[in-house]
Amino acid sequence: MGIISVENSDRLFWLGRYSERVYTTISLFKKSFDAMIDFDEHQYEEFCRRLDIPCIYESKDDFIRRYCFDGENPNSIYANLQRAYDNAIVLREEIGSETLAYIQLAVYEMNRAVQSEAPLVPLQKVQDNLVAFWGQADDSIEDQLVRNDIKIGKRVERLDLYARLQMNETAMTREIHRLAGRIENTSLHYSKTVLKKLEEAVEKMDYREIVTEVEALVEG
Amino acid sequence: MVNMDLYNQTETVNELLARYGVKFGIYKDQTFKEQLFPFDTIPRIITNQEFLYLEKGLKQRVLALNYFINDIYSEKKIVKDNVVPEEFVYASSGYLPRCEGVCPPKGIYAHISGIDLVQGKDGEWYILEDNLRVPSGASYPMIAREFCRRSSPKTFKKHHIDDNRNYADMLRKTMDYVNTGGHTVILTPGRYNAAYFEHSYLAEKTGAHLVTGSELTVENDHLYYIDYTGKKEPVGAVYRRISDEYLDPMSFNEESVIGIPHIYDIFRKGNVALLNAPGNGVADDKGIYYFVPKMIRYYLDEEPVLKNAPTYVPYYKDDMAYVLEHFDNLVLKDVAEAGGYGVVFGNSMSKEQKADFIQLLKKEPRRFIAQEVIDFVDIDIFDEGKVVPRKADLRAFVLMADEPMVWRSGLTRFSRNPKSFIVNSSQGGGFKDTWVLSQ
Repeated sequence: MGIISVENSDRLFWLGRYSERVYTTISLFKKSFDAMIDFDEHQYEEFCRRLDIPCIYESKDDFIRRYCFDGENPNSIYANLQRAYDNAIVLREEIGSETLAYIQLAVYEMNRAVQSEAPLVPLQKVQDNLVAFWGQADDSIEDQLVRNDIKIGKRVERLDLYARLQMNETAMTREIHRLAGRIENTSLHYSKTVLKKLEEAVEKMDYREIVTEVEALVEG
Repeated sequence: MVNMDLYNQTETVNELLARYGVKFGIYKDQTFKEQLFPFDTIPRIITNQEFLYLEKGLKQRVLALNYFINDIYSEKKIVKDNVVPEEFVYASSGYLPRCEGVCPPKGIYAHISGIDLVQGKDGEWYILEDNLRVPSGASYPMIAREFCRRSSPKTFKKHHIDDNRNYADMLRKTMDYVNTGGHTVILTPGRYNAAYFEHSYLAEKTGAHLVTGSELTVENDHLYYIDYTGKKEPVGAVYRRISDEYLDPMSFNEESVIGIPHIYDIFRKGNVALLNAPGNGVADDKGIYYFVPKMIRYYLDEEPVLKNAPTYVPYYKDDMAYVLEHFDNLVLKDVAEAGGYGVVFGNSMSKEQKADFIQLLKKEPRRFIAQEVIDFVDIDIFDEGKVVPRKADLRAFVLMADEPMVWRSGLTRFSRNPKSFIVNSSQGGGFKDTWVLSQ
C-alpha cells in the first residue's frame, strides 16, 4: 500500500460522502418532482422536513430550481456535487484519471440539467456517472486504503441519510454491517467507542441517536 | 500527409479531453476559472532528420545553460572573461544571491527545460525563449496523443510516428537520477494554479506523490512526507512546480504560505534534490537569452546549432540606436514578464504610446529586449470546419539526467486569432500534437 497524507485521507472520505449525498438526494428528488407535476404542489415541504434541511423555498418551481441547481444554496444538489468535484480534482494521482473522469462527467450532466426543461433525464445521467465512479474506483484503484476511505465516506453518508429518512431496519442493518466490516482498513481516524454506540443505535433503530453517532464517528 | 480520419475525430478528441478534465486555470476579473484547452487534430509533423538536427541543437543549448548556471553560482568565469556583462547577471530577477556556492545534486540546475522555437518561412528554426524555471505543457500532447490513437487507430497504423507517451518515464528517470534517497514528490501550489491539471497528471503517470507544502516537513536536516498516521516518510526528490520566491519562507519570500520552511537549507546540504534547482531563473531571463550562443561557444567550444531570433539589447548603445531607428519593425519584450504578457509590437503602438515606451526604454534599458519579427511559418488548423493558416510555436522539452534527453514530441501552441503572433493558452491560443516521424 502507498502512503496517504491526512489531507488526502480526509478528501477521499468526503469524496465518498458527497458522491453518496448527491446520488441519494437525486433519487429522493425524483420522487418528489414526480409528485409535484400534477399531484402535490407542496410535497417539497415534506422533502425538506425529512432531510432536516431549512425549507427556504417559496413554491415548487422555486424548490426545483434552487434545491437542485443553485450553487449558492449550500444544501443544493449542485453545491454537493461541486464539493465532490472539489475533492476529486485534487485526488487524480490517488484515484486515477479514469475514476476522476466520472465525477467530471457527472458535473457536465448537472450543467446540462440546469438548462433543461425536463431535468430528471440529465439528473439520471448524473446518477449513472456516480455509479460508474464507484464501480471504476472499486475496479481500478489498487490501494486498498484509498478504496476503503471512499467507501467508508459513502457508508457514513448513507447511514446518516437513511436515518434521517427513517429507512427500514433491513436497510439500516445492511449499511452498518458494511461500514463496521471495513472501517478498520482505512486511513481514517475513527472512534471505536462511537462505532459501538452506533451499532447499538441501529440495533435499537434509534434514528436520532444514529444521526448523532454517525457524525461523531470519523474525526475530522 | 492527409489524415482525414483523424481530422474527422476533432470533436471526439476534444470530448475526451473534456471528460478527463484536461484544463488550465486562468484568473479573470480576480476570479479563478478552469478552461478547456482547445485541441486541433492537425498535427505539427517533424521528420526524423529534422528532429535529429533539433535534438542536437537543444542538447547543446541545455548543456551550455547548465554550465552557465553552475559557473554563475561558483567561479563566474564567463563574467570575468567579459563574455556576459555582470549587470545582466546580477540585475536578473532570477539571480538568487543565496545560491552562491551551492552545488545541487549531480550538479544539475535545469532538469526540465521548455525551449520555445519557431520555424521561419525559410525553414530555419529559431529559439525564442528558454524556459528553465517551471516550464509546463508536456502533459497536453501526451494525453492528446492517447485520445487521438483511441479515436483514429488507423492513422497511427498507417504512419510511423514516435510514441510520445514515454514522457512520464523520462521524467521519472530524471527525478530518480538526482534523488538523494526517499520518495519522489511533485510539489504543487494547489488546485488554483494555472497548470494544476499537469501537476496531477504527471504525478499519476510517474507514480510520484502530489503534495502541497503543508504535507512536507523538514526535520533533522532531512525532508519528510507526513502520512495519515503521522509517520514521516523520507523524501529524496521534489519536482517543485512553485517558483523560487515561494519555495521556502525562511530563505526567500517570508510571506509564502505554500512553501516548506528550511527546505532550501537541506538542499544546500545535498540532502534533497529540487527540480528545477532554485536560482536557475538567472539563465531563462530574456536578457540572458541574448548571450546563449556566446555561452555555447564559451563552454562547449562549439558553434550553436540553433539560432536565436535576431535580438537587440538596448543596454548596449549600438543596439539602442538600432532599436530606436527600426522601432516599428520590432517586437519588444519586458524581460521580467512571461506567458505572453509584456510583449508589444512596435507597429501596433499609437504615437503617444510609442513616445511613452521609448522614454521608459531609455530610463530602464536593461528591462527590455527587442527582436526582429520573424515571419514564421503558418500551420493549418481547423476553424469552424475550414482549414485556415495560423501562427504556431513549438515548445520542446529537454530533460537532464546523466545526459540530456530531448522528448520526441513537444507542445505546439497556435494563435486562434488570424492577426496575432501570440500563442499562449492564457491569451486564447490552442494546442496541437507534435509528431516526430520515426523514419
